[in-house]
Amino acid sequence: MDSEPPENVKRLEEFLEERLKPKLLDAIAQRDKVFEKQKIFSDLRRNIENLEKNTVTSMRTLVNLGSEVYTEADAPDTRYIFVEVGFGFYVQLTWSEALNHIAAREKLLSRKIEDYTRIVATIKAEIGLILEGIKELLKRSH
Amino acid sequence: MAKKGTVTELSSLFPAEEAQKASRRVQDEIAERRRQLDQLQGFLDDNSNLINLVWKLPDETHHNIMVPFGKAAFFPGRMTNPNKFLVLLGESYFAERSAKQTVEILERRSNTLETQIDSLNAIIDDLKLEASFFDNTARESAEGLVEIREDYIEEVPSGTSPNSGKKSDSVPLLEVDNGKAAIEDEEYAHIFSRMTELEKEEEEAEEANGSDQDEQIQNEQDQSVGRDSTDQEVRNIPIVTREAPVISKEGASHGDYHPHSSAVVKKDFKLPQEEKIGSPLPASNTVKKDFELPQDEKIGSPLPARNTVKKDFELPQDEKIGSPLPASNTAFTGSIVEHAHNIGMHAPQQQARGSKPVSRFKMQRK
Repeated sequence: MDSEPPENVKRLEEFLEERLKPKLLDAIAQRDKVFEKQKIFSDLRRNIENLEKNTVTSMRTLVNLGSEVYTEADAPDTRYIFVEVGFGFYVQLTWSEALNHIAAREKLLSRKIEDYTRIVATIKAEIGLILEGIKELLKRSH
Repeated sequence: MAKKGTVTELSSLFPAEEAQKASRRVQDEIAERRRQLDQLQGFLDDNSNLINLVWKLPDETHHNIMVPFGKAAFFPGRMTNPNKFLVLLGESYFAERSAKQTVEILERRSNTLETQIDSLNAIIDDLKLEASFFDNTARESAEGLVEIREDYIEEVPSGTSPNSGKKSDSVPLLEVDNGKAAIEDEEYAHIFSRMTELEKEEEEAEEANGSDQDEQIQNEQDQSVGRDSTDQEVRNIPIVTREAPVISKEGASHGDYHPHSSAVVKKDFKLPQEEKIGSPLPASNTVKKDFELPQDEKIGSPLPARNTVKKDFELPQDEKIGSPLPASNTAFTGSIVEHAHNIGMHAPQQQARGSKPVSRFKMQRK
């Protein structure tokens, strides 16, 4: 009896391994993606604020062509900026508009992060519950 | 011969499940390598695209591009100098290069990537082979294959004689057997000659140690002469020994072996000739000269050093060596030259030694 765990315990363990753990990993990966996006937008906001503070109207910069090969580029007019709004669409915005958009975007992203955090917590709770259940079952079977 | 082998079931050595497990593990490994390969292939594609891009950029003086500003935004702008690039060299060091130079760097990168891909492909091929081997093992053990092991017992040559009664159909078999036996005999003769050679060397070394006058010149001379003598003997031995088994076989079994045996006989006849003619090796020549030296000393040898040494024991040589020389052509002479000084003590030993190998050959012949 000791060598072979009961059938229900086996099923629970299977569920834990096959379903819950992958789900948890998936949720965490998605949350990380949102974190990344949030960082991009916070960087963008800081940069635009910098531009505003220094009233930069033209800019020389280096463009990454890929594989860490850079070339010089010139942006003659920085008053209008193209900002991604989602699904590959870019909208030409002024600085203040861009800042508004970014603020809204950040709020949305932080809500998304909260959602994912909640999902992760639920999955973890389920895992804990099932582990507890397995423990209980094993205790009863002894 | 009935119960010599052992039979083991392959499934007891390699259970089918285990083999399958191993195969699965190798498959996983292959999948992992494939992922690496895809990644590398992606890098390579990126790189070749970039090479094309960098190659074409200097075609025009400027390009209108969107200048990225962070990852989510950009400005409209243009490339100011399409023939000037900053290339990462590694460790966050950058070099300013022209388009051509950049392409060179990128091509070198491509080459490295290609070699990496090649090696990865080779690894994958190896793993595939391994996996197929495991699969085969699993299948075989599932089929219930057995492994039979039997100790190899050498076929005794006498076993062929009963076959010789029916001559007509067993001739090819016999010939094969004879060939094998001949090879064995040759091998045996070779090993034997090597052994006698070693023995002789040993004895000579012992005697060299025992003698009082260990002048260097003489030692060297002795060694070279000794080697020559053994060489000569080695040359002779295979001929002598080969003859014996072949003839006996001929007598034992069949008559259509004549061409070979007659060849052997011819060799036999040639043997004494060879001994006379074959000896004019440069080294053995010197041996003879050494012996001529004491006898007609006034002609003088080409080697003055040797000459002076020899003069010391000129007398005993004349007395004692004069007789053994013509009899034994097998050139034990070198050692005799050396120990001529106290030859009185060594003489019986030498004779015994001279007779010893001969008796062995005779033993072998029978």
